[in-house]
Amino acid sequence: MVKSTSANGKKFTARVAVVAAGVVSPLGFGLSETLDSLREARDCVNRVTRFSVAQCRCKTAGQVPAERLLDEQRNRVRARRLHRASHMIIYALGEALTQEPQFKPELTVIGTTSGGMSYGEDYYRSLKQGGNLRHSPTWIANYPAQKPVIDALEAFGIAAPCEVVSNACASGTNAIGHAFDCVRSGRYQRVLTGGYDALSELVFVGFDSLQASTPEKCRPFDRHRTGMVLGEGAAVLALENFNAARARGATVLAEITGYGISTDNFHLTQPDPSGIGPRRAMERTLQSAHISADAVDYINAHGTATPFNDTAEGKAISELFDRVPVSSTKSMMGHSLGAAGAVEAVICLLALQHQFLPPNINFRAPDEDIHLNIVANKAQPALVSTVLSNSFGFGGTNASILMRKFDA
Amino acid sequence: MSLAIAGMGWITPLGSGIDPVWERLLQGDEAQAEKITEQFSNQCYSVFRVPESALTSSPRHPRLRRASMISRFAAAAGLEALQAAGVKLDSQSAERMALVFAISNGGVIYTKRFYRDIVEGSAQSASPLLFPETVFNAPASHLAAILGITGATYTLVGDSAAGLLAIRMAEDLMTNEALDYCLVVGAEEVDWLLCDAYRRWRLLRLAPPVEPFGRIDRGMILSEGAGAILLRRDGPIIIEGTHAGGNYRKRAEAEELMKRILCDLSRTKIDFVISSANGTFIDKAESRVLQQVIPDAFVYTAKPALGESVGAAGLWQVILGGQALHCGELPPLLHVRRTIPLQISPTRVSLAAAGRAIVLGSGVNQQVAGLRLSIR
Repeated sequence: MVKSTSANGKKFTARVAVVAAGVVSPLGFGLSETLDSLREARDCVNRVTRFSVAQCRCKTAGQVPAERLLDEQRNRVRARRLHRASHMIIYALGEALTQEPQFKPELTVIGTTSGGMSYGEDYYRSLKQGGNLRHSPTWIANYPAQKPVIDALEAFGIAAPCEVVSNACASGTNAIGHAFDCVRSGRYQRVLTGGYDALSELVFVGFDSLQASTPEKCRPFDRHRTGMVLGEGAAVLALENFNAARARGATVLAEITGYGISTDNFHLTQPDPSGIGPRRAMERTLQSAHISADAVDYINAHGTATPFNDTAEGKAISELFDRVPVSSTKSMMGHSLGAAGAVEAVICLLALQHQFLPPNINFRAPDEDIHLNIVANKAQPALVSTVLSNSFGFGGTNASILMRKFDA
Repeated sequence: MSLAIAGMGWITPLGSGIDPVWERLLQGDEAQAEKITEQFSNQCYSVFRVPESALTSSPRHPRLRRASMISRFAAAAGLEALQAAGVKLDSQSAERMALVFAISNGGVIYTKRFYRDIVEGSAQSASPLLFPETVFNAPASHLAAILGITGATYTLVGDSAAGLLAIRMAEDLMTNEALDYCLVVGAEEVDWLLCDAYRRWRLLRLAPPVEPFGRIDRGMILSEGAGAILLRRDGPIIIEGTHAGGNYRKRAEAEELMKRILCDLSRTKIDFVISSANGTFIDKAESRVLQQVIPDAFVYTAKPALGESVGAAGLWQVILGGQALHCGELPPLLHVRRTIPLQISPTRVSLAAAGRAIVLGSGVNQQVAGLRLSIR
């Protein structure tokens, strides 16, 4: 096998195939429902029901229906004890494994920001109120960030070790990117990757306290955008060495062809206004894939709808790309933090498979300072071969991945 | 692929600086336990804290002004590792360095304070200054900003095995020839809330000593601090291979996993093992497996002296292994029964000819990993 070195020094030996995927998010349970929501440009954000938001500016979020989530797990032993984050990732993994029942990963790389946070909240509140701590061992045992991942692996008898990446809102894309690098380098043949996060009061109030979340609609890249809304969900992708996947007759859903990561050290919560962090991540992704910017047909933006993020990201995109269609699907489902990059990777996969551009809803007027070709309010049919997905997070962490359509 | 340790740094309950802390371990010192009280019920716990004196020489940087203790610990250890390697970063070399951070409970003190304000007051009482510090990757972000790292920065969350998994990730990252170095840091801070949680999980001892490999699992003492190693492709102390291990579902399954790791890593002669034994169920599993797989290797754990630092633990273990290979001796194993069927020594022991060691990272939250060290 010929080894070569890319412009940014990465030795690469392998193409990387996505052979299975699963998702649950406010857009729906599974790929099919997600696709319908995207095509119909559904607004899946509604009033928060899991905890009181009476004192918050923002009252809404994208939520995965709790009852249906539990229903999906009803036949599983111990399901009621598990955190809802576990339920979500079990659902997503279950869907992926229906496509590839024999997929046995050597490694699992999953992103999250807050693990089983709401159990930590239950535990603290009970301590504070001197209440019933009978459930505390369950809360404590299910709080760690690795627990939902281990639950999901256990549910399907998968023995792979897990690396849980917590790079704030870029976690999901960083997890997929690292998994991609692991397969591409030839060190691994199969890696399971993705991300998850469940809505929690602490995180919800945290973004509210920063006034990053909005009491209005989430309007990414709109002139009158006022902030983000939170979301939740889980998504997994099964990555495999392309040649190995083809040799065993697996269906290749798409290829991941590039990954870039950057850290801008501007501020713990704000991006460098110059857009240098996102720009570096996207440039490194293009270099990693050996393609030029004009080969990209669609960008799924980080697009939180905060004034700072969208300005910095918009600047970086418009400097690198020439009128490429851009949308932020967070407008439809909220920002699911550690899950966002993984859910958005699945959305990109659907865009490649079904040849359409996912919409950026609630868009009314372009921002004079952001020169982007926004896929406004409706999904659009399009020829889509190569897509880029962005995720940026607290701590100045920026990540992008590139996916390519595969025609057998 | 093998990597070398170019520099090491740590800050521990026995102080800071590789050589001073190592010397204290060799002398058989153990950290002074400090009592902390649970806020609501007055339950008292013992913890091993980093002494204030250890932080006097720690770096000053605008990013650390409001940062949590965990970030300060990480910065101190990370900068020591770079200094030990003689590495000074500029904008070009910083691009060629990755940072991988291991953490378990993260910035628990600020997280608790932030949530307390919500519970005791309301959402409107929540501080926008505290919230960003509750995020798991805040310490890594601060350290990246201090060092000027603009490339890959990852925070891995897990149990006491997270440090070894972070080194495993570093090994994967270093296949990229655009990187010259990878700085791996593990850090943790303690709080009564963690003590309460581990006590309810029946893993905590209320007061020292920590008795490793005891007949009864009396529990661990939590501690805090950070450890850092700077990895590059060559050097005298080699990480010959990492083992990503796996996850155990039930405690009984941990032993099987440990056995697989030890068997894979011990295909060549192993002189000693830096164990994770901390006074919990981990000890019996490790003890049985060590007896079966490498009965002749010396076994050492520093947890009676330094406590269980969870996210920092794996890095401390690797530093201990590296120091032992470099110095040719192991510190005395404290508070251990002399009758256990393992090669242990309650006094410091010379290992002048030692060439290889295994570090076994067994966490109490379902993760186990390992790696093998050697010296040129």
